[in-house]
Amino acid sequence: MMFKVFSSIRKEFLLLVNDKVGLTLMFVMPLLLVFIITIIQDSAYKIVNENEIPMLVVNHDKGQQGDKLLALLQESRLFKIDTLNNLPESDLKKELLAKGKMIALYIPSGFSDGLESKAGEVSHIMMTDLGLEHDSTNLKNKPMPALSFYRDPVLQENYSASVMGVVQSYMSVIENSMMIERLYADMDFDATSDKLKDKMISNRVKINQVVASNSNSVAVPNSTQHNVPAWTIFAMFFMVVSLGSNIVKERINGSFLRLKTMPTSFMLVMFSKMSVYVVVAVLQVVVTFSAGVYILPKIGLPELTIPDNFPAFAAVVFMSSMAAVSYALLIGAMAHTQEQANGFGAISIIIFGAIGGILVPTFVMPQFMQFASNFSPLHWCLEGFYILFLKGGSWHELKAVMLFLGVFILICQLCTYIKLRIEKII
Amino acid sequence: MYTGTSIEIENITKRYKSAQEDSLRDVNLEIKEGDVFGLLGPNGAGKTTLISILCGIIPPTSGNVNYYIAGEKISESLRRNRVGFVPQEYAFYQELTPRQNLDYFGAMYNLSRKELVPRIDELLEALGLSKSGDKKVGTFSGGMKRRVNLAIGLIHEPSILFLDEPTVGVDVQSKNAIIKYLQETNKAGTTIIYTSHHMSEAEEFCNRIALIDHGRVIVQGALQALMAQHDSSSLQSLFIKLTGEEYRD
Repeated sequence: MMFKVFSSIRKEFLLLVNDKVGLTLMFVMPLLLVFIITIIQDSAYKIVNENEIPMLVVNHDKGQQGDKLLALLQESRLFKIDTLNNLPESDLKKELLAKGKMIALYIPSGFSDGLESKAGEVSHIMMTDLGLEHDSTNLKNKPMPALSFYRDPVLQENYSASVMGVVQSYMSVIENSMMIERLYADMDFDATSDKLKDKMISNRVKINQVVASNSNSVAVPNSTQHNVPAWTIFAMFFMVVSLGSNIVKERINGSFLRLKTMPTSFMLVMFSKMSVYVVVAVLQVVVTFSAGVYILPKIGLPELTIPDNFPAFAAVVFMSSMAAVSYALLIGAMAHTQEQANGFGAISIIIFGAIGGILVPTFVMPQFMQFASNFSPLHWCLEGFYILFLKGGSWHELKAVMLFLGVFILICQLCTYIKLRIEKII
Repeated sequence: MYTGTSIEIENITKRYKSAQEDSLRDVNLEIKEGDVFGLLGPNGAGKTTLISILCGIIPPTSGNVNYYIAGEKISESLRRNRVGFVPQEYAFYQELTPRQNLDYFGAMYNLSRKELVPRIDELLEALGLSKSGDKKVGTFSGGMKRRVNLAIGLIHEPSILFLDEPTVGVDVQSKNAIIKYLQETNKAGTTIIYTSHHMSEAEEFCNRIALIDHGRVIVQGALQALMAQHDSSSLQSLFIKLTGEEYRD
């Protein structure tokens, strides 16, 4: 019996190594996709991950407040600022697009004067309301200055709103500080009270940010952590081209029928196929993930961090492999020709990949597409890796992923069995 | 009751789902040990359906098939061990070599590595494939592929061998080699059941035949006796006399 199992597995292995196109699709394609897409997406992911948004600042203000705003933005470490103070505002749009910056801030001339004028007006009103004497001759009545915020059209609305919110918040700091200083000056105090200033400006309600993770790891998604598992899953499912067409070939050429006349169980044939291709899927993970760990950092891309929970990692890899193999078996059983298996198999994987967040992460998709992603097995495989990489990956969190993939595997296997039974192969 | 019979076919009827007519109707045949039995008939007569039932690929709608080897009625599992099947299609892996194909199918017949190695060499030699034993079958000519197909059916030295058009589309040399080897196999004790459209080949090869048409057995018996009985000088004239001259689809 052992020799029979060995021979059956050996036959599948030989068929696989003779399928050069299938091997290329399964091993070279994911590596190429990981390298190309990670490089392309890296800068976009950096914007989200590294809190250093490239920003172009053109400061035409002659006073101190423009510089103060610039200093606050720099101190925040949220922006990677590039200043071009000699640039006229009319050229700013062109420069923004040419320099590859996502946002630009234009500080107009007279910015400081306008703010000082506003501070003077506020102080004047307060002094008048309090019935205190003060000198109103130095009120300038300058118009309120307007900052201009330029953004790349590809930058999402909510993202640019967040950046504007940050700028507004710094403006509040500057304006409040100026008003207090002006009020103290109008009241003939030599220096402002640091205590009051601190209470009014700096001592604000803090917001603690807590990462909802089960481990101590606070890894945030980066281009590597999305692309390496995503394209590995994509390649795993692309085994439909090799395994699916193998099955069609064996059905059409009569090999399966010949086996039916022999003292052997068809389950052995299926077991051998599944064993070989599950090993192939695991090797795909090893190869692509190794590239993520060892090669990507060498070309300036983020390194892939392997999850701490190794048994859960192994379980996700196994279930993803089984899902890919089961889908290939189903396509192989349903297709009438090799062309059908290859064509439908490949196109269906691309569609599942698009819906499932392989090409574009699901969180940027519209609501109905996010709902549709639940019907893609690739989405659940990717979700499993996200839980492992980004949320520490507990078994509890993986329950839904395992359940969906388990049901998917069962449905595929059952449909394959029924189809082969109808064809009298089993 | 066993009377030196290899296969006893009793009242076999087969109707496929959604078919309007029976593909086989009340077929009764007796194939004796050591026979080279020709199942002959025009296209669509029901020959392949009958072979598929006899090999256990499809079940009959009604009727029984009993197998005997050396006088003993054998079980289904033993039948699978002792019966060989050579389909009309190239039912093997073209990406593999003849040696790899024989190794795999031999293992599926429960042969051990020790049994397989000499048997593979013997078959490759006998069928003129020794020099090509380690080349991929996909690169072979039609005749060579037919010989590989035959070798797989013979790997486990079957007691009963089914051949569905084993020489279709091959050159004279390959056809000659195949028939010669089959005759030797038959002499060594293997009962052969064979279908073909080559009447001259069947006349030379078979000792007994059954003519099937429209799912029914028209005649069966010793070839020479049938030809004499129907006053035919050849199997072809007997065939035309009994099945008519009109085209068949």
